[in-house]
Order: sequence, then structure tokens, then C-alpha cells
Amino acid sequence: MALGQRIGRGRRQQKTKQVDRSDLFDEEFLRQLELLQVIARRLIRGRQRAERKTRKVGSGLEFADHREYSPGDDIRNVDWGVYARLGQTLVRLFEEDEDLPLRLVVDVSDSMLTKDGQKLIYAQKIAAALAYVGLAGLDRVGLTAFSAKVHETIPAIRGKGRIFRVFEFLKNTQIGGPTDIYGGCKRVAAQSSQPGVTVVLSDFYDLEGAFDGLNMLRFRKHEVVAIQVLDPIEANPVDTGLRGDVTLVDVEGDDTRDVTLSASLLESYAEAHERFCTHLANKCRSRGMPFFSASIDEPFDDLVLRIFRLGGVLR
Amino acid sequence: MNLAGWALAELGVVFAVGSGVITLLYLLRMRRRQVVVPFAALWDQVTRESESRRLWRKLRRLFSWLVQLLLLALVCLALGDPRPEVWLRDPATTAIVIDTSASMAAAADEDGNTRLTLALERARAEVEALGPADHALIIAAGSEVSVPAPITGEAGTLLRALEEDVAAGPGEADLSRALLLARNALSGRSSPRILVLTDGALDGPALDAVGRCTARGQLEGEARCEVFEIGAEHEVGNVAITAFAARRYPSNHDKVEVLVEVQNLGEQPARFELRVTADGLPVGGKQLELAPGARAREVLPKLEAARERLVAELIALPNDRESAESLGPKIDDRAYAVIPPLDPMEVVLVTDGTNLFLEAALLTLDDYVRLTTLTPSEGDPSNPAIETANVVFYDIADNPLPDPLPDTNLVIFDPHRLDKTPVPVAKLKDLVSPRLSEQKKDHPLLEGVVFKDVNMHSGDSFDIDPGDVALVSHLGDPIVVLREAEHGMLLIGFDLRSSDLPLRTAFPLLVANAVDYFGMREAGFVAAIPIGASRDLALADFGVPGMDVSLLEVTPPDLDPDDDEAPEPQRVRAQDGRFRMRALIPGVYTIAVQDGDAEGSVVEVAVNQANAAASNLESRLDEATVPEASRAGEPPDPAPLSEGPLWTLIMLIAVTLIAIEWATYHRRKTV
Repeated sequence: MALGQRIGRGRRQQKTKQVDRSDLFDEEFLRQLELLQVIARRLIRGRQRAERKTRKVGSGLEFADHREYSPGDDIRNVDWGVYARLGQTLVRLFEEDEDLPLRLVVDVSDSMLTKDGQKLIYAQKIAAALAYVGLAGLDRVGLTAFSAKVHETIPAIRGKGRIFRVFEFLKNTQIGGPTDIYGGCKRVAAQSSQPGVTVVLSDFYDLEGAFDGLNMLRFRKHEVVAIQVLDPIEANPVDTGLRGDVTLVDVEGDDTRDVTLSASLLESYAEAHERFCTHLANKCRSRGMPFFSASIDEPFDDLVLRIFRLGGVLR
Repeated sequence: MNLAGWALAELGVVFAVGSGVITLLYLLRMRRRQVVVPFAALWDQVTRESESRRLWRKLRRLFSWLVQLLLLALVCLALGDPRPEVWLRDPATTAIVIDTSASMAAAADEDGNTRLTLALERARAEVEALGPADHALIIAAGSEVSVPAPITGEAGTLLRALEEDVAAGPGEADLSRALLLARNALSGRSSPRILVLTDGALDGPALDAVGRCTARGQLEGEARCEVFEIGAEHEVGNVAITAFAARRYPSNHDKVEVLVEVQNLGEQPARFELRVTADGLPVGGKQLELAPGARAREVLPKLEAARERLVAELIALPNDRESAESLGPKIDDRAYAVIPPLDPMEVVLVTDGTNLFLEAALLTLDDYVRLTTLTPSEGDPSNPAIETANVVFYDIADNPLPDPLPDTNLVIFDPHRLDKTPVPVAKLKDLVSPRLSEQKKDHPLLEGVVFKDVNMHSGDSFDIDPGDVALVSHLGDPIVVLREAEHGMLLIGFDLRSSDLPLRTAFPLLVANAVDYFGMREAGFVAAIPIGASRDLALADFGVPGMDVSLLEVTPPDLDPDDDEAPEPQRVRAQDGRFRMRALIPGVYTIAVQDGDAEGSVVEVAVNQANAAASNLESRLDEATVPEASRAGEPPDPAPLSEGPLWTLIMLIAVTLIAIEWATYHRRKTV
């Protein structure tokens, strides 16, 4: 394989958004999703009920608590038994059944487009799978594609039949632009009237904004799940055979740097990349945010099942 | 160094254009490849650490550019076809004549190098200086002339021949034939040159040959003749065995008498041991000390030696470095001898038959004496028995002695009985009842003989001349006299019949001593054959009556007795009882007669260097023989390359450089 193909064939080619997504969701993929949905529901059912609930009290059927009667309360909720025994006028409170949204946030920046956009395609497949499982579970599912230039959103939808809209969105959304995780997360938070489970799929190649963006969502009461999509060649380019004097061009900007690539330098890069990923994962986990690292070499359905096994994404 | 191909100006243009193109291509090559990376910020972190190596990277680029220019320069140089000066001169042919005589084995310096070692070094230098069109041949001039390497331009062949086929041997250098061969070999060749490598210790013919060679070398059109003298400045001693022979005693075949001649040819006194061995066992020896130039003839009597082969050796005294150094090369410190067979002596007894004691004493010696008894009338010198006799005893009482006396060894009793006698020793006076009061005890004739108390009636004393030996005397008057001339004459001045000597044990001893003494005078030492490539020899000299012999088989000495492989015999033609023998190795040769009446006869012959001239290590080269102009100078410098055009080597270097550059480029060592 040519050297340039390993990391990037050329700056212009990488930034043209020529990722072929026409066959992204074919019949085979749909069958995989159906199977995945069955397996995933079995995993989830073994842990909790199918529907998602809020923690609010309201008009549900399941008793939650008592409180003092206030004028204006529905008199039908007064607990007459308590009144008869204790002489106090208390009203019964019930947990309110409410479907919480699952929001899938996909990074579509240029860094996700290297190697014919394999990282983006991988992230979109995961997003589609999670969306399918969510829609099949009567959850509301919303999607957002973001970069510094792009921010497209599907409002929360419900019902398994809407999965094709999800597919259409993922196939046709704009791609490209620099990575801006913090900005993307910030806009997601602003658009979300109701916090829910927010799954962020990205390579997180943003030294400053990666964790800040995720942390900001958490601050807005989102239950954040981070899935880092990585290309193993990018993570460890030692075996690419790339050596000598080259000009490194940033795929997301005009920054260039003349370097002499050597085995030791490539090893240093691999170690720095490993440190970066580990540091990000540790910070996320320390704040209760599940963090998954996914290599594009790994089948996407394996990753999805791994996510469901750990729990927290769907209930 | 000269350019035989493109001119320097043309090469300059090619180099200038080529270097311009290379520089342009190099600049194009230096354009960096662009590699797109998804996470430049992380790359910034790690590349910041390697900034310090930027200078080395620049140097690597410069080095790579210089390598390209060097490659271009090498190609230009190859186009120029450079050739050393030595290649451009006319091709020369050199005949290297190496003296391989015995003296070349002498030490030539303090490091222990022999003269031959230095000669070979010089020869190697000459070979290594040959240009690609030059030729050389190597001639080894020892006792026999050989050509280890014929005319060739291949230095490897010449060097191999010098390494393997040139060694010092015994004998003199036959430079006459060697130089004649060299001159013939160089005939018709361009720039002929003869280089003689010798120590100058040559015999007359060799010196003459060198002188002729150098003289002709001065002439136009003749081969230049140069002499390189080796080891002249290093003084070295040498002691040589110049003669060695042995013979048996007629009366005792188990004992031998050995004659050894030793000469000190060095400038310093020499101390050493002379040792004679038979089959490796010492049978005799003597410690000797010789002044410079002195020669000693040593006779070692009555050595126990039942075998027929003897070896004489000069051995350094133990723990005496000077002794070892004074002996010089070992090649002449060893000599061989074959003890010749001893025929019975022909003894004639002329007697009137009245004294049987004498005949009886002679008959006891019948193992090695063939006795013929004659009457006084038959004792004439013309008698065939007397003509061939080794010793004649005259005991004829009142009968007259023949006049003249036979020309052989004589023992005469009472020679002055008659007034007229042919005996050359005059009578001094008559003696009555003489007493044998004095006797020369240390004389061989009187060994074991005691005349004390011998009684006699009368006798005569002799009037001896200077040189005569008075063996026994009566109060100072010689009564038994030995006269040494061409033949010996023992005169006993009394009649046996008038004394009691025959009754004493001294009598048979005296008779035996007389036979031995005269037998030893007659039976001379058989000299060894000197070393030579073609020695003319007569079969009769070895006791083989072979006028009809036409074929001989000569077996050279076995140099390595421990080896099972016996030396290969050589077939030699003989004619009229003579033959030519190739004797190049000292030792004992075996000659077997293959046909004729003597078929089956086997004789042994010793071959020795035994030549004082060959052992003389002193150079005899002088200005007249070798003028200064004909003396070879310092060794030439080795040719840069002896074979092949230089441009191929340059291209080989260029290709190697390309390979190295290619390999390092692909390992990112160069850019």
C-alpha cells in the first residue's frame, strides 16, 4: 500500500466529502440490525423494563409518595385511608411514565473522513444500530451530525418505522469541516429541551474541546456515553513504512509541518496517541460517563452488543 | 598518471554539465512529499522533540548531493581511462636469475634471513612492479639450471614459482648456463633485461659468465644485465667438510679408518665437534678448533664400523652460540662415505725354504692375504706375481737380491748379507750379538711388538738418510729401518735364522703390522663424487668390470627414511664402461647394473658437496666483473595495478557507491 494511503492520500482528496455512503444501509445491514435488536432487547430485559421513565412524579399508575394537600390538587388523589387513621389530608403521588430521548451525536468532521471515510461510516453504522434498537423499544431517538461547519439535527422521532428517516439523515447529511466537539455539544445541549441519554460518536481528535464538550452535556443533566472511533493505522503508524522527509498537512486546516519521519518518531507518536486516549477515557469514567473505544477493524455489531452489555444506553 | 581516453578539458565540460543536471534533479528530489494527518496537534507535540536533529538532516542532504557528484566524477574519470606511467612505457621482459647455490643458504642479516630469502624478496618486488604488458621469467641457477616460471605476464604464476620452486641446494651456481639460457629466452623481445640475484660467492666460470653478461649488457641491442648482490655486507662464518672418505683395515675388516678434511672459511676462529656416525650411531668424533682460513685433515683410526655407510657431521658445541654461528650453512656440515670393499692383498714371499716361520706367519693372514711363495731365482721384478704384488718379502739367506729391486713395497731380511746389494740404504757396521735396546713404540709397524730380550747372533746397522725411520736400534745404531718413498721398504738388519725372534709373539705381530701398513699405503681412500648435474663416471672406479654394460639403474638417497615411499630409481645409459650420473643431492646413491656380464652387481657411491669453493661465502664480485653501472639499484615500486584497465576498477567503485547509496536511502540513512 502506498505510503500516502496509510494516513491520508492527499489533503484535497480528503476534504472533498467524497465518502461513498450510497450502500451504507443495505438489506444485509437491515438484517444485521434486526438480529441485533433481538439480542439487545434480551440483554436489556434481563436487567429492567423496556420503557424508559423519568424521575418525575405525576399521573402514572405506580405509587411514589405522599404530600400535604394544597388547594388546587385533584381531590381524587387524596388518601382517605390516611385521613381516617391520622386525620391528615395527604394526597398520593404517582411516578409519571415518560419516554426519555436517546440522542445520537455523530462527528462528521474532516478527521473522520480519512481513508475513504471509514471512521465516519463506522460511526454512522453504530449510530444507526443504536437508533434502530431505540426506536424498536419505543424510545424517542434524535440524531445530530456536527462539525465546526455542519450542524444538522433530526428532532426526536418515535417508532420503528421511522428508522428509514434515520438512514436518510445519516446518508445525506453534510460532512466535513474542522472538529469542534465543544461547539457541537454546546448546540446539542441548547437544542435539547429535555435531557436524555446522549451518545457522542467521534474520534475526539480535539486536544482541548473533547472532554469539555462531553462534560458540558453532563452538566446539562445529559447521561453522556462517549464512543471513540479509531483507525488503528492512525493510532499507531509505525508499521506504515512511512519514513523520510515529508510535509505533514493537517486534514482539517492549512497547518503544515516539515518533519523527518523515522521509526522512533512514529513510535513517539503512537505513545502520545495512546496517552491521549487513555487520559480522555479516564477523565470521562471518573465523572460517570461510559467511554468506549472502537477500532474500525472491530465489527460494529460486536461493539453495539458490548455497549448494551455494559448498560446505561437503553433501559 | 595519464589519461588515455577523453581529454581533461572534455571531461571538465562533461562534469560541469552533469553536476548541473544532478543538482537540478537533486533539488527536485528534495521536494517533500505531503502526508495528510488527521491529528496534527498531536504530531506537533512529538515533532517538537526532534527539532534538534534538523542540522544533521541538512548535512545528510548535503552528503547525498556530494555522493551524486562523486559518482559523476568517477564516471568522468573512467571516461578518461587513466593509466599509470608504468603502463605507458614499452613492454619489458625481465629474466630473473636467482643463485641457488649452497652459499645462498647463509644468513644475510641479524634477523636470521638467508641470502636466498632476500633474493626472493627482491624477485617478488620485481614481479610486483611489472606493468600489464611486461613479462618475466625466473631461472634458478644451482648445480643444475631450472626454470621455475617460463616467460609469462601473470604475476601470480611468477610469485607462486618463487614461493614453491626456488630453494638453495648444494654445490656451485651454474651461472654460465643460466645466463646463456636467459639470453636465449630474451632474444627478440623488447626491452630485454637480465637481473642476477647472487651473493657473489661464485666459482671462476660463474664469475666469468657474470662478467661477460654485464659487459654485453652495455652494448646497444643487447639485453641489459644487472647484478643485485646480496649479503655482502653481513659477515658470516662457515666451516665445511671438504673431504670425507673411509676404508677398512686389511687385517681387520670390522674396523675402518676415516679421513675427514675440514676447512674454516670464515673470518673468525671456529670451535665445533666432528662426529662420525654409522646408521645413526656415533662411532667416532673429535673436538676441533680452527683458525680463520685453516684446513685440517683428520684421520680417525680404527673406528668400529661394521656397516658400509658413514656420515660425518660438524656439530656446534653445546650452549655455545659462537660455535653455532661459526659453522654457517648446514648444507656443507654433513658428508657421506661408502666404505669400499677390500680385496685380498697380493703378498709374495721369496724364500729359500729354510725359514718356515715367516711363511707360517703369513699363512695366518690368509683371510685377507693371497700368498705366493717363490724361490730366490724366481724373485725377479719381472715375475708377474711380483709385478702385481702389494708386498714382497725377501728372506733368501745367502742368495742375492734382485737388482733392481721390484717396484713395490718390500720387506727384506738381512739385506747386507752379501757385499753387493741393491738396497738403497747403506750398511753402517757389523754388529755382534746386538741388543735391541731402542724401539719406536708409537709407530704402526711396531704396534704390539716388543723386541725386548730378543737374542741374535749377529746383525748389521744401517746408515740412514734423513726421512728414514729407525724403528729399532742397538745402542743408537739403527737395525730395523723404514724408508718411505713411492713405495715403502722395511729393512731388518739380521737373519731370522740367527735370532730367536721367530719364536716370540712379536714376530707374527710384526709380519701382520707390515702387511697392514703397506696395505694401507696401497689401498687408498675412495673419494666421494662431487655434486653435479651430469658427472662423467667410470664403472671401473667402483670395482665393476663393465665395458659391456649398457644400462644402469641409479637410486638416489632416501632423504626421509621414516617415509615408506622409496626413492624412484632412474635408468641411465652406459657406454664403454662410462656413464653420466645426475647427482644433485648429497647422500649415498645405489648403482645397479642391469645387463652385461656384471648384471646384478650393486655398488654404492657417496655424493658430497665437498667443495671449498662452493662453501666459501665471500663475495668475489668486483668492479671489473660488475661495474657500478651494472649493479641493480633499489627495488622498484609496485605497479599500482598489474592487470586490466583502471577504468573498470573505477566503474566498480562507482557501482559499489551506488549500491551503498541505494541501500542507505532505503533505510532512510541518506535522503
